[in-house]
Amino acid sequence: MIAAVHFRNFKALRSAAVRLRAFNLLIGPSGSGKTSLIQALLRLRTLSGLPVARADEAKRADGPQIDFHFDPPFDDVRVTLGCSAHELVCNLLTVDHPPGIAGEGQWGELRTRLQSIRAFLFDHNAMAMPAKAKDDAGLASNAGNIAAVLQARRARFPGSMARMEAEFCRIMPEFAGLDFRPLGEDRVELFAKLAEDGDWISADNLSQGTLYLLAVLTLGHDPDPPGVVCLEEADRGVHPRLLREVRDSLYRLSYPLVEKGGRAPVQVIATTHSPYLLDLFSDHLDEIVLSNKQGNAATFERLSERSDVLELMKEAHLGDLWFSGILGGVPCE
Amino acid sequence: MNQPSSPVHSPGAPVLKVAFLSESPADEAALHILVGAVLKTPFTIVQSSLRARGWPSVEQVLPAILRHLHFKTDADGLVVVVDSDDSPVHTAEHETPGYYHPHCRICRLRGVFRRVLKNLPPARGRDRVLRAVGVAVPAVEAWYLCGRDTSVTEEAWVKGQATGRVPYTRAELKWRVYGTERPTLMHETRRAVQEVTRHHGDVRRLENDFPQGFGSLARDLRSWSRPA
Repeated sequence: MIAAVHFRNFKALRSAAVRLRAFNLLIGPSGSGKTSLIQALLRLRTLSGLPVARADEAKRADGPQIDFHFDPPFDDVRVTLGCSAHELVCNLLTVDHPPGIAGEGQWGELRTRLQSIRAFLFDHNAMAMPAKAKDDAGLASNAGNIAAVLQARRARFPGSMARMEAEFCRIMPEFAGLDFRPLGEDRVELFAKLAEDGDWISADNLSQGTLYLLAVLTLGHDPDPPGVVCLEEADRGVHPRLLREVRDSLYRLSYPLVEKGGRAPVQVIATTHSPYLLDLFSDHLDEIVLSNKQGNAATFERLSERSDVLELMKEAHLGDLWFSGILGGVPCE
Repeated sequence: MNQPSSPVHSPGAPVLKVAFLSESPADEAALHILVGAVLKTPFTIVQSSLRARGWPSVEQVLPAILRHLHFKTDADGLVVVVDSDDSPVHTAEHETPGYYHPHCRICRLRGVFRRVLKNLPPARGRDRVLRAVGVAVPAVEAWYLCGRDTSVTEEAWVKGQATGRVPYTRAELKWRVYGTERPTLMHETRRAVQEVTRHHGDVRRLENDFPQGFGSLARDLRSWSRPA
């Protein structure tokens, strides 16, 4: 959906552009703009749901600016977030679209789709707590309502839920199933069944890695997923050998035809600091975006645009190359 | 220890204990079937959790794995299979005594076995862990297509390397096997097992079409049943 983002004087992103694809894995040191990109998308979602800035307001936007370009059929629409030089948050949204009813219609449809941008940074502590049963509309940014979401999914999409549960038990064979039990009047608690003795254990007794993996699967098997999914620290808490399952689950969102899901592709923007996860994208360098920070300025670079990477990969793993520093995208020392 | 499906077994014959080192669970599932087809004797799997991250990690981790298997397990042999990627393909010339091609992955893996094992004292009732090294040219998906896609052979790849125009890419091979460049691990495993099962235990076609990469593996495995 979002084709490119161009930052001007936004935090460390003084003049940085990134073209986005169906799947995007962002790597780079802290403070190099990965989270800023996700925050910009969330800001776009928020502001696109509000009235656009008036012309006189837009003229005041002489400070940081973020331009968004979109894939067809919205390639004629350009959206800009801006603010005045003394403001810290881009609060002004201006839209450039073709004139007339058709152009208005395009923008109307696009802004509806932009409302489905979601960002996640899973929190195992939140996931381990019972959730409000009514909080089941979609996975919360920290996945704290995972019990409610999965309980509702089992009721509304039993086939989808059964496939996800089977996947969970295949990846983590120590478990034989999931269940959801009411707690008090309005809460629901997640339980997992141990394969060995059939005992049920509550979410607060599950490992962090188990909860994170379950959250990723919940996203990947969502029968009605958001249009754009941003996932920070996609490798979080997951054993290196299980990162392939994380990748597969995220690919399931971006490439639904692979799984014959029949729904529209979800644009995925994931970040990681794991060389092991990066290695899993060696065959798809066009999906990797390296964020670099030199001094106080950060830039983005798609790895497939570097002429030297394929030659370098003949001698070392991509993750090791990144770690070594020769690709860039490492902390300053 | 896992027990894979067993081919014909003579009562009283010892059951081989085999370790596998491959790049993914999908590769390993296929290798269990192929190794069984070559050995034609039951075997059990020791240390079922060995895994490498592909080249060059296999070569780096192999010495430690060999020492571990030698001293800490009762493994009779270790099967190692990697993809050749763009590296030179093993040839008959490489089999000449004393020959070592510095970029051929079969030569290099055999070199690691030699270097590590020659310095180890006998342990657990055997002198050494037996070696079985295979290299899929250019990737394991080529083996999966054997007999189904006649354009995919070691010879075709070697000719392509010589002319600078390879007949297919790794991505194309993935498409032909999985129908996508991004298969899930489960789909990859299912397809791998389906394709190698297609040979019904007869690996002659694989040895014919992949005489070095698969042939070396088969010859190593058959040597296990003969006195060294």
